[in-house]
Amino acid sequence: MVKVKINNLSMKYEKKLIIEDFELEIVDGELLVLLGASGCGKTSLLKIIAGIIEPEGGTIIFDEKDITNYTPQKRKVGYVPQAQVLFPHMKVEQNISFGLEAHKLSKEEIKERITWIAEITQIQDLLDRFPSEISGGQKQRVALARALAIKPNLLLLDEPLSSIDASGRESLALTIRRIQKETGITTLYVTHNQEESRLISDRVALMYDGKIQQIGSVIEVDRTPRNYLIAKIMGSSNVWPVEYLETEDGSSLVSTPIGLITLPYEIKRKITGIRIPPSSFKIVHDLSEDDKMIEFIGRIKSIIEKDDENFRIVVDLKDAHLEYFKVDCNKEMLNIASAANKELQLHVLPSEVILI
Amino acid sequence: MHGSIQKKSRNFEGLSNKFIISLSIIALISFLLAFFYIPIVRIFQTALSSDSGTGFKVFWETLSDPFNLKFLGFTLLQAFLSTILCLLIGLPVGYFFAKYEFKGKKLIINLLTIPFVLPPVIVLIGFTVTYGQGGWVNLLWQNITNSSNVLITIDGTVQGIILAHVFYNLSVIIRLTIPAWQNIDNEQIEVSSTLGVGKGKTFQKIVFPQIKNAIISSSLLVFIYTFNSFAIVMKLGNFNFYTLEVLIYESFDLLKFSEGASLAVIQLVINSLVIILYLVVERKSRKMAEGKEKGLKTERLTFKGKDWKSIVSLSLSIVFVFIVIIFSFAPIIAIIVKSFIPKSPGDSPFWGYSQIFTQQKITPLNTNTIRLFGNTLLFATVAAVISLILSVLIVFVLRNRYQSIKKYQRSISESLVSYLIILPMATSSITLGLGLYLNYSGLNSYYNSVWIFIIMSHVLISIPFVTRSILVAYNRIDVELLNVASSLGASRVMIFRKIEFPLIKRGIIVGGIFSFAISLGEFGATFLLARANYETLSIGIYNLLGSQTLQISTAMASVLILITALCFYLINKFGDIELKV
Repeated sequence: MVKVKINNLSMKYEKKLIIEDFELEIVDGELLVLLGASGCGKTSLLKIIAGIIEPEGGTIIFDEKDITNYTPQKRKVGYVPQAQVLFPHMKVEQNISFGLEAHKLSKEEIKERITWIAEITQIQDLLDRFPSEISGGQKQRVALARALAIKPNLLLLDEPLSSIDASGRESLALTIRRIQKETGITTLYVTHNQEESRLISDRVALMYDGKIQQIGSVIEVDRTPRNYLIAKIMGSSNVWPVEYLETEDGSSLVSTPIGLITLPYEIKRKITGIRIPPSSFKIVHDLSEDDKMIEFIGRIKSIIEKDDENFRIVVDLKDAHLEYFKVDCNKEMLNIASAANKELQLHVLPSEVILI
Repeated sequence: MHGSIQKKSRNFEGLSNKFIISLSIIALISFLLAFFYIPIVRIFQTALSSDSGTGFKVFWETLSDPFNLKFLGFTLLQAFLSTILCLLIGLPVGYFFAKYEFKGKKLIINLLTIPFVLPPVIVLIGFTVTYGQGGWVNLLWQNITNSSNVLITIDGTVQGIILAHVFYNLSVIIRLTIPAWQNIDNEQIEVSSTLGVGKGKTFQKIVFPQIKNAIISSSLLVFIYTFNSFAIVMKLGNFNFYTLEVLIYESFDLLKFSEGASLAVIQLVINSLVIILYLVVERKSRKMAEGKEKGLKTERLTFKGKDWKSIVSLSLSIVFVFIVIIFSFAPIIAIIVKSFIPKSPGDSPFWGYSQIFTQQKITPLNTNTIRLFGNTLLFATVAAVISLILSVLIVFVLRNRYQSIKKYQRSISESLVSYLIILPMATSSITLGLGLYLNYSGLNSYYNSVWIFIIMSHVLISIPFVTRSILVAYNRIDVELLNVASSLGASRVMIFRKIEFPLIKRGIIVGGIFSFAISLGEFGATFLLARANYETLSIGIYNLLGSQTLQISTAMASVLILITALCFYLINKFGDIELKV
């Protein structure tokens, strides 16, 4: 249980820098989700922290200790790679005791630790089985138990849900969250799936181009994404990149894939995208003109979420090929929208358009 | 302060691995230098030197001698013909086994492989008993036709040589093409037909390109085995036909060392070219097989629900496969039966066996048979142990995980090892023996220590197969397992003891037994090197081939078959035999 500081880290693969000037701080005891597309260098970063790959440059600091030159053996890091690689020739119990024997614990201590971690990870019934005899989700719990048994300084999880079928993902994610909180071990959790970061993270760090681009709680990042790409990675609805921007006489003309949007104020900073929250739309019954409103015309395509009163619908945009809105509406508005399988008009207040 | 201490500890861990790897590299290179590269250099030196000093004179004379040229041509031609014939028979059989499911399939495939692991002298004696002048096939033919004409002559004929080579190598084609057939995804064929492509075109454009490399690489193996054939051609060629390998031996026997060495150089060059080609094709076919999950749709072997056309063609296939099975077994069964047939009526059927387990010396053998057995088993055991140790070291150098941690490239010395082990694969057993003889026969103690060189030649011959067995097992280990193990705190030694070793154990057992079996039957190098007290069973059997009664030699051969079959059974129990090098 340490705080981790990574300074100025870089790594080359086949002569190309895939991690460059990398900086990251992980708070003691937190679960930090590192979010990035496949191939952005996340796995390499984990391997560098675990000591399996040597970086080109930079330092890794646990608390105040520089461990950049430590062997994997000395780092005491719990490394759980993407595929649940359990030692196939050992029973679950032997898998867990492997690391404890390496750390030269006594037989009694080993037994104690196994009982402790088996209870936390709920694998008591699996101890006597071979890896080939248990399911994917169980393997992941065993891999977790094996890594945690040595009471590591830091837990590294590489896409732990990627090989789990859809139905088991959420429960395993919450299990990981619970175990992490119970043990209080500082954890770096790598994934390309923003849903997972929403489920379990204390903070989320977004990575591309070999660097961390933004870090903060999911709510912070959602509310103020630093740029269009981050909003996109976070899976925000209704975000579009800005192609160009013209400002004159107290108004701005923003060009986006959904058309030209006029905003009644001058934009003074550089913007990369716009976002219109699904709740900002108003469905208008009759085709009417309203100067103050931004107007879109589309056709309802499907309903994606609903309870008794509130719905989220998908509206295909008429004038922009393949672009669509997600729109929140109530029952009454939905009736208007779906009754007349015809074009419907959406209004948005310019002040509701969020600049990214 | 803390950092500097830990820096040392990382260096220590790195050093201990580096130390192990360096030691392995030194051991391997010393072994290869002493028992392979220096002897090979000696061959080149001998080829290029004559009484009048160094030069290409003898070399060119040997190369341009019409007699040598003729038989160089013959060596290539017979290897080519043997390979083609193996393909013609082996490919359909391979397809049959890939396509149809039936009880005992694996057993039959395994049994068909036995000829390949048999010592060449066994093949010789089996062929003599089955197809020889007074052999069963000819006796049967004479009875049927009621004449004294023979159906087939194997002594001193090309057909005898090629037939023996096909018998010996057929299983290479069968075994190596079965996985290629099985790897073809049936959905590709289905997609092709939905795209409107006919069956013939689908085979040509979809199926054939995917099995092509397996066909080529297995053919190259058969070619190299038959190109370097020794015992079979020496006996069945009967001074009418020679392979380069036999010519080299004859030159050695006549003490014409320069000439023999020159021929060895030519052979080595041709072998190297074929082996390099083989390695290139092999890599390609391995890449093609990667990541395949679905395979060819198999069918149950049944006549039910088939029209008469399919029934006829299926029956013909079964008959064909059946004939191939008989062809592959007849010589082996013939040997065993023959060993129990008394020389004259009334004698004991066990006479041959009683003879080989007595202390008395049987003419024309140079030593008693108990000694032959002892030598054979001892050499095989020692050779297997040494091959195993060296092969494990090779695997560790080739798969040194720590190489990937830094800079993603291998050190020069590690690459060196991976290249240095290729040439021994391309060296025939006579050339190995000749090199060892030329380099070490000058030593005073040579004649008393010749057993060392016999064992080392066996080691060199079996290392490619043993390394392959272990490498196949090692490659199945997920590198992440080792990464996890080290981050769990396990030392290099603990990782080997607890993870790597248990996971490659079967490969080691298979490799060890395979090496034992190879040494058991090795003929060429042993024949060239062995003197009197250091001869093996193979040599003994060969020396008895010309004698009046075959009962003693078939009895010895039967024991050898039994031991070989036992080895083969154990190999199949623990894993799979690797015919590839």
